[in-house]
Amino acid sequence: MTEGASSQRGARLGEWLFLYGLSILAALVLSALLVESTGGAWRSVVSALIDGSLRKPARWGETLGTAAPILLVAVGTIVSGRAGLINIGQEGQLLVGAAFATYFGFLIGGPGPFNVVVILFFGVVGGALWAGVAALLKFWRNVPEVLSTLLLVTVGGQLVAYGLSQSWLLLAPLADRGNRNQVSSQLADDNRLPRPEIFGNEISFAVILAVVAAVLVSILLSRTVWGFRLRMLGRNPRAAQRSGVAQTRYGATALMLSGGFAGLAGAAMLAGGGFAFGNYQLVPGFATNIGWTGLLVALVAREKALVAIPVAFIFAGLRTGSSFVGATGVEGRITDVIQGFLVLALLVPPAVMFLRDRRRSRAAATDRA
Amino acid sequence: MQSSADGLTGAGSLVESAPAVDIRGITKRFGPVTACDGVDLTLRRGRIHGILGENGAGKSTLMKMLIGLVLPDEGSICIDGVPQQIHSPLAAASLGIGMVHQHFSLVDALTVWENVALGEAGRLNPASIRNRIGEIADHYGLIIDPDARVGNLTAGLRQRVEIIKCLRRDPSILIFDEPTSVLTPEESVQLFSSLRQVVTEEGRAVVLVSHKLDEVLHATDDISIMRQGKVVDRLLAGDTDAPTLARGMVGRDVSLRSESAALGVLVIDEDGAKALDSNASPDAVPAVSSPPILTIDRATLRGPGGTPVLDDFSLELHPGEIVGVAGVEGNGQRELGDLLSSLVSLNSGSVAIEGTRVPDGRSGAMAKAGIGVIPEDRHDSGIVLDMTLAENLILVDQSRVSTGGVINQVELDDFAREMISQFGIHCSGPDAPMWSLSGGNQQRVVLARELAQHPKVLVAAQPTRGLDVGAIEYMGDRLKSAAADGVAVLLISSELEEILDLSHRIVVMHAGRIVGGMDRANVSLESLGLMMGGVAQ
Repeated sequence: MTEGASSQRGARLGEWLFLYGLSILAALVLSALLVESTGGAWRSVVSALIDGSLRKPARWGETLGTAAPILLVAVGTIVSGRAGLINIGQEGQLLVGAAFATYFGFLIGGPGPFNVVVILFFGVVGGALWAGVAALLKFWRNVPEVLSTLLLVTVGGQLVAYGLSQSWLLLAPLADRGNRNQVSSQLADDNRLPRPEIFGNEISFAVILAVVAAVLVSILLSRTVWGFRLRMLGRNPRAAQRSGVAQTRYGATALMLSGGFAGLAGAAMLAGGGFAFGNYQLVPGFATNIGWTGLLVALVAREKALVAIPVAFIFAGLRTGSSFVGATGVEGRITDVIQGFLVLALLVPPAVMFLRDRRRSRAAATDRA
Repeated sequence: MQSSADGLTGAGSLVESAPAVDIRGITKRFGPVTACDGVDLTLRRGRIHGILGENGAGKSTLMKMLIGLVLPDEGSICIDGVPQQIHSPLAAASLGIGMVHQHFSLVDALTVWENVALGEAGRLNPASIRNRIGEIADHYGLIIDPDARVGNLTAGLRQRVEIIKCLRRDPSILIFDEPTSVLTPEESVQLFSSLRQVVTEEGRAVVLVSHKLDEVLHATDDISIMRQGKVVDRLLAGDTDAPTLARGMVGRDVSLRSESAALGVLVIDEDGAKALDSNASPDAVPAVSSPPILTIDRATLRGPGGTPVLDDFSLELHPGEIVGVAGVEGNGQRELGDLLSSLVSLNSGSVAIEGTRVPDGRSGAMAKAGIGVIPEDRHDSGIVLDMTLAENLILVDQSRVSTGGVINQVELDDFAREMISQFGIHCSGPDAPMWSLSGGNQQRVVLARELAQHPKVLVAAQPTRGLDVGAIEYMGDRLKSAAADGVAVLLISSELEEILDLSHRIVVMHAGRIVGGMDRANVSLESLGLMMGGVAQ
């Protein structure tokens, strides 16, 4: 029995590797064709990707620092996903979280290390509240969360833009911003997350935070009663209702936790992101697609928090690497398309496996009937 | 319709006709399992052929090969003497083979005529489809409103739609897979009279796949009995009797009484009721003088359209008794189960356990108060298919395997192994995904979980639907022993035999209310039937 099970697992792993290999190869071939047909050289593009993400000085630190908020967002997405809720508004929750972190960070302005905690805390609060709006709409008025979270991204973006135009909210005093508009003040040195230097790479402390969060959430979901009940809610809401898992309470908690993680990601970008994310100040377009990327990571990792860790690093590598591709003379738009191909290549195998598993379990069900 | 009455009585003389279908040595394997093993089968025009067998005997697989859903590994199929390869349902349809499936393939959101038109090639002509439905309805007595939405129809009417859908293509060979499993007795009789008409007047060949003895005995001409993938016996309906069929089906002598519910034999007649009573019913009927453990008081629940689905429903349950709720399906039984599963909130009325009110519709309240439920549709609220067997055993209560909010995996596995052996659950182990278990074993998991809670009240809604003889017997024994331990059992079933077999007391539900009741000892089938039809006694 166990022998059969392990050989089955081996076969499954083989299938996974094969599917990923095939789809990534396809993406690479398509990308190479695209680069060559637009007058570039694919070898130099590949080389630039690796340079930008790993090889050049300080780049892998940059990649890790980029991975941290992506992973935090993904972990939050996994929490709500396991409860059967589809939160796709992380980009907005992240931005609102960062705005809360900025506002309260400057408002409270306590001593250094303490204020870092304040900043992170209010990031969580901001993101959770923004997701809480969607939770309220869902459990009070039955508005599907997949719509409300998405639309709240736009609303959040506008609100933060407004905040950045008002000096009583987020806008920095004139002396701090020179002639720039719509930026907040910069966090003081002691209000930032530490960035220890290892082998010439500055590593954001947020990386440790994100990995610890992923491990904790993984344990929470798989080992605790709360996680068990949350999964029950996600897989069969009616069985959960009968068993005492109230959808309102558990669902709202999961959605707000999900937003809280996105908000934490925003705060971590603000306080520890360095030049990649606004240089310790809130700027227009601060979220820079980190929320969307985190959502993709959760999808690719198939809602497994531990799997999300390497996936987040891969996506971060694509992001930091492609910033170097421009130097090869390949147009930025082409780079975007290549990145899209690679993301698709990572998304296709889980989708194929999901469809196949479902078909098999259905076939098994009808065979027995 | 006139001919149907005599037609029902059986074969008459053996009419010589060319075989419509001739199946020779057909074999189908699924991995290590041989579903059909060298099966021979001959279907003739003008006759109804019954295929009898327990769940898993290979009946459905055989029929799926005939309509092209499954390809045979070996053997041949001749249609009207011509060898044919039936690769797909389309090929089967072009050969004139049609099947009415056990599980309906209708689209709830569409109307009757739209469902009938589904899958038709060419331009849609609503008027002609409606006309055709009207013609079929008149011709076979299958009256239906073509503009009714399928989602609003009862199971019997849905099946009627399936049959019309099938007849519209004018098939010469018609297959019915367990057609009466969702029908009331009256609907079944109606169905069989239409079948007889199809056969005698139009010379079609009909196959009736079933595990119910009496319907095979009374509604067919030829009978093939299948067991473990083989045809073990071929009989003429006119020359055999229920005990012979039962023996052939299970491969041993069976007590028709204990398995009557499973086999669908109505052994109740004027004095049969008494005989069965003395034998099968638990002898110690609990004293009703004890205070009720469950009190449902004037429960009213309105459906989406505002019509009450539970209408001033009141019921008391005492410790140690099994109360059977009889009635035609769709008269509020599902909602009664949902109410006791905390799945719906009442518009008025209350539920109380030992005199303490249990808030209705509050998540988990009913389970916490001590109401165990074996739900009508276990996939709906009874199990989580994507979780493991072990996890499904602790859906309601995680406290026994957890400390400080953390689940102890070792304790969980131990608990699961204990339940697996105690309830004889066939599985690969505690980690087996729930979807990998057969229906009967899934049902055992539900039973194990609910009984492990030591409930005060156990609601068993259609607990044996879709199970085979052994599983049905097991379920009945478990319910009886639960009652003997002082649990109040509420048995909601549309199988009258099951209710008669197990209950101390019977109440009948009609249109969301209880229209009457009687003790098992004083059962009158006639008044039961009248009450099920809504005639209050």
